[in-house]
Amino acid sequence: MHRFKPVTFGVLSALVIALSACGGGGGNAADGSSSNNGADNPPAAKSGGEITVLEDSGFAGAWPAGLDPATNTNGAANQPMMDTIYGQLFKLVEGGKIEGELAEGSTLSSDGKTFTIKLRPGVKFTDGSPFDAETVKWNFDRSLASPCTCNPKSSWPKLENPAVTTSGTDTVEIHFTAPFAAISRSFISANLNWIASKTSFDKMGEKAFKQKPVGAGPFTVVSNSPSNQLVVQKNPGYFRQGHPYLDKVTFKSIGGDQAAYQALQAGQADAYEGMSTPALVDQASKQSNLTTTQMLSTSPYVIQLNTSKPPFNDQKARDAVYYATDTEAIRKGLFNNRYPTSQTFTGPGGLFYKPTVPGYKTFDLAKAKQLVSEMGGMQVTLGTINVLVAKQTTEALQSQWAKAGIKTKIESYDLAGLIKAFGGPWQSMLQTAGAWDPAIGVGVGFRFNSHSPFTGVKDPALDKLLAEGSGTLDEAKRQTIYDEAGKLISDKSYAPFMFAFAPANLAVKGVYGPGLTTKLPAVAVNPPVSWPDVYKTSGTGQ
Amino acid sequence: MTASPTLAPSRRDSTPGVLYSPAVRLIGRRLLAAIPVLWGVTLLTFIVVQALPGSAAQQLLGPNATPEQVQQLEAQLGTDRSMIVRYLDWLGGVLTGDLGSSLSDGRAVTEVIGSALGVTAELVLLALVVSLALTVPIALLAARRPGGVVDRISMAVSMVGLSIANYVLALVLVWVFAVQLAVLPAIGFVPIGDGILDNLRSLVLPAIAIGFPLFCFYTRLLRADILEQMQGQDYVTTARAKGIGPWRVLTRHAFRNSLFGLLTIVGLNLGTLIGATVIIEQIFALPGVGRELLQAISNRNIPVIEGIVLVFAVVVVVANLVTDLLYAVLDPRVRHGNT
Repeated sequence: MHRFKPVTFGVLSALVIALSACGGGGGNAADGSSSNNGADNPPAAKSGGEITVLEDSGFAGAWPAGLDPATNTNGAANQPMMDTIYGQLFKLVEGGKIEGELAEGSTLSSDGKTFTIKLRPGVKFTDGSPFDAETVKWNFDRSLASPCTCNPKSSWPKLENPAVTTSGTDTVEIHFTAPFAAISRSFISANLNWIASKTSFDKMGEKAFKQKPVGAGPFTVVSNSPSNQLVVQKNPGYFRQGHPYLDKVTFKSIGGDQAAYQALQAGQADAYEGMSTPALVDQASKQSNLTTTQMLSTSPYVIQLNTSKPPFNDQKARDAVYYATDTEAIRKGLFNNRYPTSQTFTGPGGLFYKPTVPGYKTFDLAKAKQLVSEMGGMQVTLGTINVLVAKQTTEALQSQWAKAGIKTKIESYDLAGLIKAFGGPWQSMLQTAGAWDPAIGVGVGFRFNSHSPFTGVKDPALDKLLAEGSGTLDEAKRQTIYDEAGKLISDKSYAPFMFAFAPANLAVKGVYGPGLTTKLPAVAVNPPVSWPDVYKTSGTGQ
Repeated sequence: MTASPTLAPSRRDSTPGVLYSPAVRLIGRRLLAAIPVLWGVTLLTFIVVQALPGSAAQQLLGPNATPEQVQQLEAQLGTDRSMIVRYLDWLGGVLTGDLGSSLSDGRAVTEVIGSALGVTAELVLLALVVSLALTVPIALLAARRPGGVVDRISMAVSMVGLSIANYVLALVLVWVFAVQLAVLPAIGFVPIGDGILDNLRSLVLPAIAIGFPLFCFYTRLLRADILEQMQGQDYVTTARAKGIGPWRVLTRHAFRNSLFGLLTIVGLNLGTLIGATVIIEQIFALPGVGRELLQAISNRNIPVIEGIVLVFAVVVVVANLVTDLLYAVLDPRVRHGNT
């Protein structure tokens, strides 16, 4: 999942960043992976109050298709809105564990092919209808048929027919044709995690429902102006006693990091999710009135090389790129060591993380020059999505590779252009690869599986390892398999990995919550904030 | 300044009746001429949007979508039909007052535009007021003593204003007035129904961000025009010979003639003014048409793009027509056809 951001806007706003620096308060500077500057010992939670949360209009702040789980094609990005309205069947908590929320619990059969969900008893939708197995099945069937990025089916094994069955009023089962180890984890940020009221849907009709949806979550919709503002208020009938803490949450869409930062500074909002401009994150972490929490990265940047086309169908050319790439210089010079190194498809916030791979080819300019010379020179096109961090990195790579004799042409695309470019004769792309669990979402298979339209690698041995990683139930064995996959990618020089990027969340002092002011893995770019647990003790917002 | 000959009355104008008045005939001719202009604008927009990579279905579904899913959604949205068929279908709807439906959420385009138009209209109007309210007195003061303190300062400020992009100015304004001084809001829109003062407060910074560069441009232009009138025109010499004071000559004679140039530029600049709302509404989180347009472009939502572009084009055409009509109000020679 990528964010759309006008790069020029970020660059030109440097002037304002510099001005903003004049108003700096205390706090510590960036210190690598962590820049949480004050929420280590938050005050006790209390009920009441309302907050305004800003969301980037290019990502979480865009919900043009409405908020119905089955038709919101931007659902993975719109987690904050969806979670507040529908709650979650399963939630991600600190330590990377999955807990039941509206689901009381779950089990995976010993053969790994049947996932059984036990629903929490006594839960009702805010329209008074029961939260039962039939309704959950109706939701699953709709969501699995949805052509949406948040439909998890693309990373699942093939489903049985019927795929979803019920047993009694509180049990739902999902049936696979092959074992799938990451099933409960795949719910986080997937549309199956959000259960809509069928009663309200039938009564209102699809068009009206998606504008003012009804769920069993911690909040109910007061008003919805698509991609502009969503106001939700406390659901007094929410199943968790004493939750949510807040009376009201207003989500506002805003045009980028700089505008959001200034709105927070002006006291017009209480939180901003997904700050990704490094200079602003540094600046925000110095402000005494803000808590800046650098989230845990799960998806490292990788230079995908198209091994089916020259020059990267020759391992010598791929080796040259590995040796010509000085990741440490970029991490330090451009990003102040904020984002940790990764030599494979895992990040420190994800499962099975290993920062290094034995035998990985690190920066060695002499070797790079020699290889390029042996090849009689190299000219490559390096593409990327048009976001600030990616753009800065490609420019740095262009400069580094030039020293090795590689002439690089940079192409920068919006999402549609990027998708189209993958269908053409591309040579190299700077992308993110990996996921919290490599088997789900935009995981390793998305960039390296032979069948993916976004891969530059067609290697049956790697395909086999990735399939085994997804189907093996034993976590230790999965670790071994993913280590082997990382080693294979490294040995064959399929794609140099760089650093594991993750955005930061900002909150004014006095506003706290899991995922907002504590570190959670960035499952779908932004971490899944637990909104029922967010509270306000003071603050400058409305 | 020459007057438009189109307003000169003909013999038939002696016939009583509103329909034969020069103004009505001008309006009629301009409206007829506007039809091919508007058609051209919509066709060009359609072609340009088609040329962009990706489709509405692809944008809605995101990078994970399979080609089959994209095809399925394209069929649902009707975007799998040929460009000509879709354009003619849309055009046919326009002729009956139907601008189509948003590809994102199925809302009528008229509803999408209607819900946002008020915000943009108010912003544009306020930006215009800000720019003109500053332009006139400062240009007059600058022209009164060329090379004087006011003239020098206004020229320096104009240079700065013309050199700075309005989105950078917007961020600077927010930093100063919202963050440091905390006197104006950084984001958000307060509807007029919730209090006129709060409504104006929510639009002051965006209006300045748009209006200030225009003020700089207009000031330079008006000052130069007034100076030209003051230095080279016979009627100014005559007025002075009659013993009329310099300030009165400036304001009652030279300024009135210079207004034609200003009016023309304001009319021609309306398109730029509306265009500026796209980025400014984004920065200030204003739920206006510009913001809708940006989202629609991002989503390749062609009916919404077409609808908004058409509305903008109509506004510009009408504004230019009003400018021409204002000539008649300002200049009796035009009104009476004595060019």
